[in-house]
Amino acid sequence: MTLDRHEIASALRLADPALSRFDPLPRIIAFDDFDRGFCGWTQLVGNYEDTLDAMHPGYAQHSQAMLSTLPTWDFGSHGGFDGSYALKIATRPQAGARNVSIKRLTFRRRGPIRLEFYFTFKPEANELRLSETDVRSIGFLYDLQTGDQDGDAWRIMPHLRFLNALDGAHVQKWQFKRRNEPFAAVGAGNKTVTHYHLAPEGWEDIAGGGQRLCYNEIPTKVNWHYCRFDFDLVTMQATGLACNDREFDLSGFDSMRIPAMRNLWCMLNLAFFVETDTDKRASLFIDSVCLSGDF
Amino acid sequence: MLRESQAAVVARNEEWRGASATEPYEAGWASEAVVFVRALKDAVGAPGRARVELSPDGMHWVAEGSAFDLPVRAGEVTFARVAHFGTWLRIAADLPEGAALTVLVTWHLKA
Repeated sequence: MTLDRHEIASALRLADPALSRFDPLPRIIAFDDFDRGFCGWTQLVGNYEDTLDAMHPGYAQHSQAMLSTLPTWDFGSHGGFDGSYALKIATRPQAGARNVSIKRLTFRRRGPIRLEFYFTFKPEANELRLSETDVRSIGFLYDLQTGDQDGDAWRIMPHLRFLNALDGAHVQKWQFKRRNEPFAAVGAGNKTVTHYHLAPEGWEDIAGGGQRLCYNEIPTKVNWHYCRFDFDLVTMQATGLACNDREFDLSGFDSMRIPAMRNLWCMLNLAFFVETDTDKRASLFIDSVCLSGDF
Repeated sequence: MLRESQAAVVARNEEWRGASATEPYEAGWASEAVVFVRALKDAVGAPGRARVELSPDGMHWVAEGSAFDLPVRAGEVTFARVAHFGTWLRIAADLPEGAALTVLVTWHLKA
């Protein structure tokens, strides 16, 4: 029996307990298990020039992610999918507040890429009730730009979120956002701009994107979920979204599309975000992330 | 293995007046921490002192015992060291009536 290199790689990954719960493309670009530290996930800070007062308030609210054991007041640390730690992104305790964590890379080759991650979310457990509608949404995005020698010159930003609740209603559906937000100059130097791409307006439903996720029966118990998002850097189109046992139709999906900026060539940024629907902190926990590519 | 180390900005360009505190920061992996407070603008009045607080759950807070002067002039930095703190950390201060301070607060944490 002759095995080709992809079959050997696949067999080795299936035999590795850390990787066998992922379905990566041939090349693993990043495998971030937060038992090994922050793995390059940091705070998304807003742009500024001369003074921090110039920062858009939507970005000014952000703070640094944490390494968390998912500690609870009523039974102690919950722990990760495996090991003790997960990345924790937490909002401030004001309805509509958001926080974002980001990893900043560049790409080597334009081709298919796959983002896989295990996640869960909960509000701060400061009430003795289920609180299943306190987290507004969790989501993720890419911030991409074509290479400096490419014939097309675009900055492309696919945005997706699971809208868990809105104004107290338990919505539970996947959405995307393609609407561009206006750019504004930051400072007087004509070098920096800002655009609030995570502004709450302009989200659209993914067709058939309703999904009832497991949400355990008190405000401190969590269950981990799997998510996969496929994107093609050649066509700059999304090609797949899956969460647990569901695969979603992305034929109506589109990304924010902006003329290329002078300083962001080959950018491959990934970000996770969480929003709260009430005056409680909401947290998104990421156990592990696998970013892979076909090259 | 190198020791895990992390710098975390938990308050940036926030104006503190009256009862003020940083957002809870979870760092059970760390065995020691230094917290720095930098004044981004000259204080209004005398901002007084800040204290380190611990928590069993990130919701109920108790003074750790460390206290330090808040900075007064723009660019001035003050700090406190803390160890053996469990999981949750924050700093809190009760600024006197009429006092205000714009802060940059950074935790430096080590395993």
